[in-house]
Amino acid sequence: MSWEEFWITLIVCGLTMLACRVLPLFLLKGKDLPENLNRALGFIPPAAFAALVANDLLAPDMFAGGFWPAAAPLAATICVVVVALKTRSLLWSAVTGVAAYALLLLI
Amino acid sequence: MVERSHIKDSFQAAIPIMLGYVAIGIPCGILCAAVGLNALQVFLFSALFYSGAGQFMIPNMYLSGSPLASILASVSLVNTRQMLYAASFAPACQNISKPLAFFFAATVTDESFGVSTRKFEEGDWSVDRALMLNLFSQSSWTISNVIGALVSGLIDIPLQIAAFAMTSIFICLLVTQKMTDANVVAIVCAMLGVFACKSFGLSGPAILIGALIGVAVAFAYASIKAKGRPSGGGEALPSDQDGMRTSGKGETHPSNEGEVRP
Repeated sequence: MSWEEFWITLIVCGLTMLACRVLPLFLLKGKDLPENLNRALGFIPPAAFAALVANDLLAPDMFAGGFWPAAAPLAATICVVVVALKTRSLLWSAVTGVAAYALLLLI
Repeated sequence: MVERSHIKDSFQAAIPIMLGYVAIGIPCGILCAAVGLNALQVFLFSALFYSGAGQFMIPNMYLSGSPLASILASVSLVNTRQMLYAASFAPACQNISKPLAFFFAATVTDESFGVSTRKFEEGDWSVDRALMLNLFSQSSWTISNVIGALVSGLIDIPLQIAAFAMTSIFICLLVTQKMTDANVVAIVCAMLGVFACKSFGLSGPAILIGALIGVAVAFAYASIKAKGRPSGGGEALPSDQDGMRTSGKGETHPSNEGEVRP
């Protein structure tokens, strides 16, 4: 990647990213948010976490490369869910997830 | 200005993110070096663009020979999900200064959004702490990326496994959400939405569209449930029983008490 391509990529991606990160906040900031909007905003965290998890774990063609490569992360997910519910700890969840996934891939 | 105890709070909350960013930041730097980016360029990407998904996509698409315009479009599309995080933090940022709000919003990622959202719900959290959490995370990401670019070729981290650290963080954040019926509706619909998007070849905006579907359906569900109440009042107060608890979430959500403290 040349310096020119690098600058174009950095500037365009950097600016669109900054706009997405900052604009919605400043559009809503300083206004009295109606109760309905507040309620809708409250659904963003569960919906976003669910979308992020689904994006990492699920794909229409996930079993195309064989059963185990797609099932191993799902099995590791079960381990993470158990640890997450027991400890509520992000750190333990991450450690468990990586260890479980690595062990499952060794099988 | 910034209290010492706040720095400690932020650092402790940032530890899982920072370790996760080491695990995926080094491979990201290695990948960037593979397309000819040097340590300075990798540093600039991490400091000014700061997007895990984006910084993996750029070298990956470049290696596969995609034209620059399509790389820019795809990366920008994937990052539209950040709009949701910004909107979600709006109630917390109502009474803070513009520069603080700007720097906080400009440094939010998937992971720091998750951790700060949880911290705001638990209480005893504020935007200045959330900003420091973002900056600790970004430092870890940036340093790891630069290390990756410098050591490329010397070490090899199995990325598939390392990236599962992030997935695990999202799983933990997901399953520790309050499982009210409206939240469960949001979760199920968001997951189905992501799967549907991917099935139609829309993997770029899948997270944004899936999450929006989850929010919309859960909102409709909560509204219908509120209307269907026998109380006859129409405008249900959020303080009453069962499923409507979710409507109160906006209030328990950040009231930025921490900010008004001296």
